[in-house]
Amino acid sequence: MLSRRGFFLTCGGCAVAASAGSLGGRRALAGGAPRAFPARFWKKLPGKRVECQLCPKHCQVDDRERGFCGVRENRGGEYFTLVWGQPCAVHVDPIEKKPFFHFRPGSRAFSIATAGCNMECKCCQNWDISQSRPEDVDFHFMPPDEVVAMAKGYGACVTFTYSEPIVFLEYCIDTAKAAHKAGVAATMVTGGSGEAAPMQEVLEHLDAIKVDLKGFDEDYYRRLCKGELKPVLKTLEVIARSGVWLELVHLCIPGQNDGEKEIRAMCRWVKGHLGRDVPLHFTRFHPEYQMKNVPPTPNATLIRCREIGMAEGLRFVYTGNVPGLSGEDTICPSCGKTVVARRGFELEGMHIKNGRCEFCGFGIPGVWS
Amino acid sequence: MNRDGNSPERRRFLQALGAGAFAAAGCSSSCAGKQPQQSAPATGQATSSVTTAATRTEAARVVAAGGKPRVVVVKARRALTQGYDADRGALGAMLEAGLLALAGEKDAARALASYVRAGERVGLKINGLAARQAATHFELVDELSALLGKADIEPRQQIVFDRFKRDLTESGFGANRRDGYRCVGNDEAGHEEEIALMPSSASRLARVLTRQVDGVINLPVLKQHMLSGMTGALKNNFGCIHNPNKMHLYKCDPYIAEVNAIPAIRDKQRLVIMDALRPVVEGGPSYQPGAAEVANLLLFATDLVAIDTVGLGILEDLRAKRRLPPLDKEGLFPTHLATAGKLGLGEADRARIDIVEIEV
Repeated sequence: MLSRRGFFLTCGGCAVAASAGSLGGRRALAGGAPRAFPARFWKKLPGKRVECQLCPKHCQVDDRERGFCGVRENRGGEYFTLVWGQPCAVHVDPIEKKPFFHFRPGSRAFSIATAGCNMECKCCQNWDISQSRPEDVDFHFMPPDEVVAMAKGYGACVTFTYSEPIVFLEYCIDTAKAAHKAGVAATMVTGGSGEAAPMQEVLEHLDAIKVDLKGFDEDYYRRLCKGELKPVLKTLEVIARSGVWLELVHLCIPGQNDGEKEIRAMCRWVKGHLGRDVPLHFTRFHPEYQMKNVPPTPNATLIRCREIGMAEGLRFVYTGNVPGLSGEDTICPSCGKTVVARRGFELEGMHIKNGRCEFCGFGIPGVWS
Repeated sequence: MNRDGNSPERRRFLQALGAGAFAAAGCSSSCAGKQPQQSAPATGQATSSVTTAATRTEAARVVAAGGKPRVVVVKARRALTQGYDADRGALGAMLEAGLLALAGEKDAARALASYVRAGERVGLKINGLAARQAATHFELVDELSALLGKADIEPRQQIVFDRFKRDLTESGFGANRRDGYRCVGNDEAGHEEEIALMPSSASRLARVLTRQVDGVINLPVLKQHMLSGMTGALKNNFGCIHNPNKMHLYKCDPYIAEVNAIPAIRDKQRLVIMDALRPVVEGGPSYQPGAAEVANLLLFATDLVAIDTVGLGILEDLRAKRRLPPLDKEGLFPTHLATAGKLGLGEADRARIDIVEIEV
């Protein structure tokens, strides 16, 4: 394994690559032994078993076994996380890549991820790490203070992303706390499949969160994600009540979750339960992992989904993953002028001052500075 | 699924098991060698021992498709010395009797040669999860290794493997056993980068399986399992992939069957020897004090579904002896057996399995 210095030196520029698939080179899948740290959010069961209470799966884990996520292990009746402080992906991204469109546009996100996920989406673009165990990928020991120091060095916020931060929630909480202590913002990109108590705890230390609302149908979640919709909706309501800035992404997969009825129902739910000001991004699917046989999302689908969202009364609906396609800009709901112009991850124009439209003074929801 | 749990033959067999006096279908240990002649071998080894492994695999499929796959159940009066330590002498006799009955050969090494050929690299997939208390007995592997040697599979060509080096070590399989075979954890050898796609999931295969062995002798432990109902030969192959934790939803069904249908796994299965010396009848798959029941059994088959189906019957009976409810009453009936049967991986209908019982 590289020394820590070598690890970062190899990354160069602002790209601090650690490993894993699209984020860097994955070595042969025989990594070193990860360090184990006491996990939180679990309870003991008889016979040295434990029940994880981090996410709705509530894995009952036998001694010497791991939960669904593959990163939490029962050792003699005590539960441990094998990913605390051990990111396998470290990168500096534009905040628009997350995507956050209403959170500090044009800023940077110091992005970290560990191995593991509590779902298995057939379309996962980061499956190399999300569907791996800690020992399957290169990782480096990077405790919270170091993450924060590096983020600060880049003038970036800290973002937990790429795989599923809920499975490394203890690390997220500790890092977000350290970030706030140092005056650095903390954000999260998640599938939202977490239990209320741990989610509430991490939300106390976050400034923004983006949730993938992968579909609006239980069968879809079960069939394509090995997950459930209901807990995600519950999490969204918890987030909405917390006041942490929230944005949503819906990856449109042709023939799977892009039906008009489903999109309309989802938009109505978002408006009714989360509010009309929550940005909703309809993003383009790219064939990946177990869905290489499905074509990319047609642009027309994204445009139609956006139109449905707007028609249902959502005020900030975007298209994504297609640079140049209409629907990337933020439009002032009052005067109809473009207040944030974007092309892909590039910020091309900014007309929001002190949270208000420069043209008409209308307050634009979001975190703008 | 037809569980056929109450057939007269099975009842007699299990009654005998419970009483400790094993009924061997009228056959004593002295005539164990004649047992194969009582019905046709499952794998069509009327051919000579020079039959290639590839041919053998084909033959096994043909016979399994046209006739009843055979499962040989060998019982020793006493196969354990104390606790979980096994009696090597008893295991040797059980191995010999089981292989002869399964292969229809007169010599154990020749019988083994029906499944692996000289010079091949043979993987010995053990189950080491529960450590020494409920892992595949290393004494069994030692005896098998010696027989493999006689079948011209040198010890260095024999690789014991499982998911973690830790599990191997704690099961008594050190770095290299004194008997010479190699012990490799998948965490050491790694997994393929390319994913193996299944209808319901995806995984990466252990490199030991894909690169280091030509065929596999599957050596599961018969255990109740808190999530899948039971663990046996089929579930033991979860140790050939990198993410079995992803496959435990919905009682592991259809994941267990689909993993076993991956060609790289399916096509390397040559033989199953199930360690049922001391099955874990409750609280599995880990070992809980008092959760194992001495049964002194080894099972032999080439059909993974059939051997698990027979194993399930034994497990249910041992549970009944303890007044534990049937697995279906606990919502833990192993539905993956029927799914595997539907995928053509073997026979899940007990009535269509040729069960041969032998006492040594």
